Amino acid sequence: MTQEHNQDSNPIRDAITQAIDQNPVLLFMKGTPEAPGCGFSARTVAALQALGVPFAAVDVLPDARIRQELSALSNWPTIPQLFIDGELIGGCDIVTEMYASGELAQALGIESDGAQAESELATASVEPAPLSIENRLA
Amino acid sequence: MPSAEEIRERIETAIPGARADVQDYTGGGDHFQATVVAPAFAGLNRLSQHRMVYDVFGDEIGGPIHALSLKTLSE
Repeated sequence: MTQEHNQDSNPIRDAITQAIDQNPVLLFMKGTPEAPGCGFSARTVAALQALGVPFAAVDVLPDARIRQELSALSNWPTIPQLFIDGELIGGCDIVTEMYASGELAQALGIESDGAQAESELATASVEPAPLSIENRLA
Repeated sequence: MPSAEEIRERIETAIPGARADVQDYTGGGDHFQATVVAPAFAGLNRLSQHRMVYDVFGDEIGGPIHALSLKTLSE
């Protein structure tokens, strides 16, 4: 049985807001960190993994409304979108540029150490997505 | 389908003093890469600089323009 929803409620937007609030490092992407669905998402995941930082990820592909609501909320038109401590950092271009300059490590509060980042490339931990937004609407 | 040249003109028209170099990434007319230099970017962080460029195209980003990869500089 499907639950009735108030016409004014916006469960997708609420779930997005909640995910941003609850995850210090959150990536909205196409596909998953293990199987990115787009080169831009893949490059952004690679930058985070190279720093060995745990992050949560939400796949926007299962429901087009996730992307619509996210872009309306963040005022940013493309995917991926990286949030750190509830704040939009940017998409693939900005994240990779910040990674190269060391600013990404700084924003994540970790010491920039090239050798360490290199060695952790393969073993970076990835937290599973905290919620499956699409499942709430099934 | 916009051309790289059209995208360059629109960026340079919309952002005062901007100079843009736009490449059609794949040759398919939907993945573009642009380097934009504009004095109007001075004092803005990258996020705001990129937003200024994205705002030129509105809903076309993610639509007819599948991807517009950006590098922005204030000078």
